[in-house]
Amino acid sequence: MVTAGIDIGHESVTVAILDDNGILGHATFVISGEVGAASTLAFERTLDRLGLARASVHRIFATGMGRETVALADAHRTPMLSHARGAHWWFPGARTVIDVGAEGSRVMRCDAKGYLTDFALNDKCAAGSGVFLETVADMLDVPLADMGGLALSGSRRVVLTSTCAVFAESEIVAEIHRGSSRADILWGVHESLVSKIAAMSRRVGIEPDLVLTGGVARNVGVVQALREQLQMDVAVPEHPEIAGALGAALLARASAGAA
Amino acid sequence: MVVCGIDVGARTAKAVMLVDGDIVAHSIVRTGPESAAAAVAALDRSLETTALRREDIEFTVATGYGRVVVPFAQRNVTEIACHARGNHHFFPGVRTILDMGGQDCKAIRCDETGKVTNFLMNDKCAAGTGRALEVMASLLQVPLDDLGRLSLEASNGLAKISNTCVVFAKSEVLALARQGVPTRDILAALCDGVAERVKGLLRAVGVEEDFVISGGISKNVGVVRRVEQKLGTTSQICFEPQVVGALGAALFARDFLTGGTRRRTGP
Repeated sequence: MVTAGIDIGHESVTVAILDDNGILGHATFVISGEVGAASTLAFERTLDRLGLARASVHRIFATGMGRETVALADAHRTPMLSHARGAHWWFPGARTVIDVGAEGSRVMRCDAKGYLTDFALNDKCAAGSGVFLETVADMLDVPLADMGGLALSGSRRVVLTSTCAVFAESEIVAEIHRGSSRADILWGVHESLVSKIAAMSRRVGIEPDLVLTGGVARNVGVVQALREQLQMDVAVPEHPEIAGALGAALLARASAGAA
Repeated sequence: MVVCGIDVGARTAKAVMLVDGDIVAHSIVRTGPESAAAAVAALDRSLETTALRREDIEFTVATGYGRVVVPFAQRNVTEIACHARGNHHFFPGVRTILDMGGQDCKAIRCDETGKVTNFLMNDKCAAGTGRALEVMASLLQVPLDDLGRLSLEASNGLAKISNTCVVFAKSEVLALARQGVPTRDILAALCDGVAERVKGLLRAVGVEEDFVISGGISKNVGVVRRVEQKLGTTSQICFEPQVVGALGAALFARDFLTGGTRRRTGP
């Protein structure tokens, strides 16, 4: 049986297509224009690339913040359910899943079957979100993809004390004036971001295995800072950015099986 | 007797010079990256307008977040105590103070002597501080000084901003601007958001009249009016609300020098 998951984020749509043998394919598209139309287009393009007919997809589940705008979906599921399920597919031992997104982050606890048991969510404060990294990338003129690696090459000298991303920007400016290197500042930025995520994780309670999902999981600085602050190994899936879409496709398959 | 109060804030450094209890000079300068240099600059700026020299100052008290780095101060006192003291000097009936600066917001309760009895402070989150409006003013390319006045000229089509976080609200503001929502309507929503945050802080300490507003935000009529509306009260604002903390510090300096009964009090 072929199912699809469509994950609508703030800036992009990710589509994952699943059959009984695993992931058939996935693709991510930047949203331009209206969200509902963008998700249809993304879905059709993904099918085209795979040479699949629309009729061969049995069930489509949408997830992500824009999940309710996906007209072609049969149902939608919360990002928490989807990420837990997606992470569990790659790592059956996963009991805690952290997803760091551009405009928020989530910590999910799940059981041995990948069912969500508890979660915490921050979509109120940029300080614990990926957008903080984007802002700093801009400020320091570092490509987003290189930030983590550069941070790891920095010393552990710069400590940002601000809770707020806006105030942290001023602290960063002060560090630049003080002559701190970009690498040093970047390590401080990563530690600061991760400290908020770690605090939220501790509130939910962390049990191994810990899996990091979302595009930010590709940032080696975030992974390292998380390892240190939680004193636990952090598993990163092969395609962390498709965890939500994959989870939705898995949930679609499970619901079809039950029907 | 010549005493000086210096208030080194996140955005500006302020100095007040008292001669025999009278304010003879005050100044406001940008803090910049070096707090100590800003303190010296504020001091010199205020001296310029008088015949006084640095050597004439008998005692200096520093306050504000940069208070520990002021090189020429003999003592430092928290800004909470100084704002209560300074506002009490202008308004002896004051019992509740809202002091909002560039990087924090304080709700302070004091007694009839100007001594702090309770306070709450937000210095963790830019929402509900002057910084939120600074960020938005530059985003919308509106001079900060005009922001409050423009916000009161809003049409009744209320723009809605749902995010509290300044970083997230920026995207919302840009989206509204792109949709063609008039800038003054967006400013109205922003001022309302700041006032709402402030209301929460004030309610938590309890509001008793007289109610006084100080700090840079008191120059923003858009926020002041909305705070008054939300609390159902009116506020009093002194002639130069940005230097109230420095004035309080100068008053403490006078106490230290005279060994008077008004010793450092409060938190």
